[in-house]
Amino acid sequence: MAVRLEIGWRPDLADAEGEAVRRQAREYFGLDLTAVRVLRVLMLDVDLPEAALEAIRTDIFTHPTTQISSFQPLARDFHWAIWVGFKPGVRDTAGDVAREAIQAYLGRPLPDGAAVYTSKLFLLTGEDLTETHIAKLAQELLANDMIQEFRIFSRQTWDAGAGVGIILPRVELAHTPAVQAFELASPEVLKELSRRRHLALRDADLPVILNYFQRPEVKARRAAVGLSAPTDVELEYLAQARSDHCNHNTFRGRFLYRDAATGETFTLDNPFKACIETPTREIARHKDWVVSVLWDNAGVGRFDDEFSYVIKGETHNSPSNLEAYGGSLTGIVGVYRDPLGTGKGARLIGGMYGFCVGPRDYAGPLKPRLHPRRLLDGVIEGVKDGGNKSGVPTVNGALYFDPSYLGKCLVFVGAVGLLPREIKGKPGAEKAARPGDLIVTCGGRVGADGIHGVTASSEVSSPGTPAGHVQIGAPYTQKNMHDFILEARDQGLITFITDCGGGGLSSAVGESAGMAGGGEIELSAVPLKYQGLDPWEIWVSESQERMVVAIKPEHEAAFKRLALKHAVEATVMGRFTDTGVLDVKYQGRTAAFMDLSFLEEEFPPWEFEACWLPPENRLTEPVLGEVQDHLGVLLAMLDRPNICSREWIIRQYDHEVQGASVIKPLVGEAAPAPADAAVLRPRPDSLRGLALSLALNPAYSPIDTYHMTAVTIDEAVRRLLAVGGSLSHIGGVDNFCWPSVEYHPRHNPDGKFKAAQLVRACLALRDLCRSYQIPLLSGKDSMYVDGLLPGAFGEMHRVSGLPTLFFTAVSVLPDLRRALSLTWKRPGDLIYLVGDTRPELGGSEFYEFLGYVGLSVPKVNPDAFLAYYRLFEPAGHMELLASAHGLYRGGLGVHLALSSLAAGLGLEVDLSRVAPESPAYVALYAESAGRFLVSVDPTHARRLEELFQGQPLCCLGRVGGDQTYKIVRHGRTLLEAPLATLRTAWERRFGSLV
Amino acid sequence: MKTQNRKPKTENPAPRPKALVLYGYGLNCDFETAYALSQAGAEAERVHVSDLIRGEKSLLDYHLLAVPGGFSWGDDHGAGVILALRLKLALGSALQEFIAAGRLVIGICNGFQVLVNLGLLPGLPGRADARLAALIPNDCGNFRDAWVHLKAVDSKCVFTKGLDRLELPIRHGEGKFYADGPVLAELADRGQIALKYAGPSGNLAMGRFPHNPNGSLLDIAGICDATGRVLGLMPHPEAHISSFQHPTWTREKEAWRRRGEPYPEQVGSGLAIFRNAVNYLADKVIGGRG
Repeated sequence: MAVRLEIGWRPDLADAEGEAVRRQAREYFGLDLTAVRVLRVLMLDVDLPEAALEAIRTDIFTHPTTQISSFQPLARDFHWAIWVGFKPGVRDTAGDVAREAIQAYLGRPLPDGAAVYTSKLFLLTGEDLTETHIAKLAQELLANDMIQEFRIFSRQTWDAGAGVGIILPRVELAHTPAVQAFELASPEVLKELSRRRHLALRDADLPVILNYFQRPEVKARRAAVGLSAPTDVELEYLAQARSDHCNHNTFRGRFLYRDAATGETFTLDNPFKACIETPTREIARHKDWVVSVLWDNAGVGRFDDEFSYVIKGETHNSPSNLEAYGGSLTGIVGVYRDPLGTGKGARLIGGMYGFCVGPRDYAGPLKPRLHPRRLLDGVIEGVKDGGNKSGVPTVNGALYFDPSYLGKCLVFVGAVGLLPREIKGKPGAEKAARPGDLIVTCGGRVGADGIHGVTASSEVSSPGTPAGHVQIGAPYTQKNMHDFILEARDQGLITFITDCGGGGLSSAVGESAGMAGGGEIELSAVPLKYQGLDPWEIWVSESQERMVVAIKPEHEAAFKRLALKHAVEATVMGRFTDTGVLDVKYQGRTAAFMDLSFLEEEFPPWEFEACWLPPENRLTEPVLGEVQDHLGVLLAMLDRPNICSREWIIRQYDHEVQGASVIKPLVGEAAPAPADAAVLRPRPDSLRGLALSLALNPAYSPIDTYHMTAVTIDEAVRRLLAVGGSLSHIGGVDNFCWPSVEYHPRHNPDGKFKAAQLVRACLALRDLCRSYQIPLLSGKDSMYVDGLLPGAFGEMHRVSGLPTLFFTAVSVLPDLRRALSLTWKRPGDLIYLVGDTRPELGGSEFYEFLGYVGLSVPKVNPDAFLAYYRLFEPAGHMELLASAHGLYRGGLGVHLALSSLAAGLGLEVDLSRVAPESPAYVALYAESAGRFLVSVDPTHARRLEELFQGQPLCCLGRVGGDQTYKIVRHGRTLLEAPLATLRTAWERRFGSLV
Repeated sequence: MKTQNRKPKTENPAPRPKALVLYGYGLNCDFETAYALSQAGAEAERVHVSDLIRGEKSLLDYHLLAVPGGFSWGDDHGAGVILALRLKLALGSALQEFIAAGRLVIGICNGFQVLVNLGLLPGLPGRADARLAALIPNDCGNFRDAWVHLKAVDSKCVFTKGLDRLELPIRHGEGKFYADGPVLAELADRGQIALKYAGPSGNLAMGRFPHNPNGSLLDIAGICDATGRVLGLMPHPEAHISSFQHPTWTREKEAWRRRGEPYPEQVGSGLAIFRNAVNYLADKVIGGRG
């Protein structure tokens, strides 16, 4: 008989989790709760004698000093109670761990079907709380209906004897698995089937698919294995493989570009090939540090003679938009599997994040599924658990607010790994699936979770989007697998490895079989979480924490022994062949029989009309006079949501585990200011460093995505140079997040413009990477950043996200001792501005603050910039710089303040020579690219000026000996204030969050 | 023909103490803890929890057991609870015997949480094994990564002997040290409080956030057992063994430069904890004079 165990903190001890709920209820909903206590609830679905239960309670689940627990309801003295538990089938790692612990404790396995389910009971005290309040708390704070259910009890309805009762979210699929075949008489039938099954097949693909199955020789070979009409396993496989997510149809599409103002037209065929692949191959040819690029799960660059680094960026937007916590958790844990699945497998050494959400205090009429505040809380927490519990330091990140992300949020996640250059005498970055090798699935079991993630993310988010693809990652499970894989690698057991992510086995096995030349697998060998899954579900499920590995048959026993040590499930499910066919069986009978070459042929490229209207034809510069209250503006700028301190997020992330952080995400002796880039020391026995930077500038997209992209790449480069990175070794990772570029007269009337924005961004990517000699080591495109949101009157609005590029850049520091930070070091040091400040305020934070977009978007001039970027390395060698900091969003005014705040040292600078002909606000807030602030020991000033001879170098003033922050221009004091005033403005907005 | 240059015995005076650093099941500070121990002079070996539990490795072959930081078994049932259970079930009294044999145990962060759940800490006389202390959720309500100042308290702890002030990072969600009043008093009386949170000047934090980052009672950051040979602490000494790990080392570097000297990599203040352990073992256990 099932029992319920409740565990809580001793009543005289504080309840930190309950207190956090109380605080959120007040801040988010204005609800005054006097107390919140949280009980952890374990529903034990297992038959055990009372003595055993009692022993389990006291010896495992209750700390005698701090906790109380009971198999009877513990709840007393509350006004309302809210029980929150998982829906059936949702990943419950804590429950699995509890079951495992009970088995270990009892010293015997529990019977099949025995399970532990975890949930929580929130006990709320507060006068004047109505059921409406409580329902709001349950729905909008405590439970997410995608994955959880809740029950509300009032004191009046509470049954003190039964409590919440016994609630067992068992999965019971009363279903006999079977393979289904479909007679497809016409494209229309397939189209209807695609709609019904959420296959998201394109119209143009339908006849191609039908023709394949009607070819006589295909028919004959299929008949030989017992197949006639296409099966669900086959159609699902094709849908996954043809999805935009897996196949990048948009980036491999054909864009017919037309400039509506000039009439100029051109065709951009396959932007991926033209703007990413081709330039990267060209550049890689004379960058001998590029080890592996454009084919594996992640890109590989040389770190030193013995190790390479592996880097990857991903976005996980659609799932996070539905279930913020699970989406971002699955995202970060998922991107870790890319370096782990690159070459023969890399150890994870760093994680990154970038969140784009609606305004945290949004109070407008649109009703997104999750309010941006809640969504942000969730995605922050997801990356926290994903990173911290994986033991991977989260070293760099970004947060950007804009109302356009109300439609769909962006959750970028990045990962860096370290890979030996040689493993057992063979190159670590190489892998090959060979005929005869066994195909092994390792890690988590397969359930119905995560079915159709890939096809759903290739659609616009709408209230009807199937929620089945929401999942919760399990970092603990994956950490075990990570440790296991690396030991198997070092023993030379792995010949091939790949991540099992989007598209599940269909994608992982499909792609690796493609490399081997064929493969056959048996789906009924795949370990399941529960029975009743159809073969096609096993085939495409995106259940997490899995890798697909190839091993030689003679290594099977050793591989499994090692798996057992690490408590990882490893199951042989097939072998690679040389037949050119993917043969998928279920209980011995072929369920899919596809020529691997089929996907590489015949499919027509997607075509897009791209219509550009230059910004001059759409936008103008605002008419704006000089600012009178400069201090007021600076304080307001420092308080802007996209400028102010995000310490609260960074501190939740373990950014130091593994002991390798040299420039941490927060630097500064006085105030924790965000570093330009992270510097890691991947090997404690070496002085080499690895620098990682991240940039995004979606605010420039409404003017011109070409310049948005150019500035973003330039920013990522400057961030690396500012910490001491080498200009000659910069690798890039491009992550595009774009609204749908497909024109539709009613649903997407500006689709052609968005397509033109994408074309221009791709051209800028190509141009800038060539100029700066940046090979694109990896990247990803994520389309359909659109949402349909109800408004105040129930009317639906399409909200498209700003075209956004997350650009990650990586560099190597030959000697860590040359690493730089942005903080002033000494009073009296000279402050120099490097680079020209032009009247470029279009899309700036300053204009946005005043309600404008403007036209004068910052532009990058690579040739001019590179002339002095090249001087940073010699300046570093000569140790001329005491600090370095790039100028980014917010401009000179904001970034001067950050260097001062970080150091706790004021300054006095004269901006007369900065954009001298323009109003002072241009000098302070223009966001011209190509600029740095450096501070210099006065005795080195001459040498610096000599080094930068002929380059835009301008001495602005000095670091102050006290806390006064003073800026003058043309003989007039623009502002003068104590640093404390600035710090308050910069920290106030999110300062109370933890 | 290849010849090996064997060093003369005189250059290799004492054998290095052997340290077992646990890993696996979600622990994640094993590499840097092993590295710190080896920098301190130990011969450190990472041993998987499974190998210890299944008896493929024997505790008594080592002089020091380090349970490093991490999230063992995901930590969902109270930090360190499940690893403590598994060790207790598998090793039973071997842990007590290990300590009784004069060997050392250090539990860092999750490792500290494991030691209190094993009852090895506080290990009060007559009440060895009892779970009298706990590390409960931080008062701030969340995981926190921050550098803290620590004051080594006059105690019988072998690891903190001779230390005064340290700077180390904390990185935890459940680090608030809790014990009932009488236990706290006994810990203080017996010299079992090893480390306390302090401010930059070295004065105790007196419970004030952020110097006391989690609300720990009596500002306790680390305690030892009654023998002084078992230390548990929430801050990470292995994360400050080099000056490059300190958050404001670039200012320090600049100070060296202004004196006209190149910046040398220096030892961080966390290494002393491991050195103390190694010196103790070299002297008392391996030297055979214990």
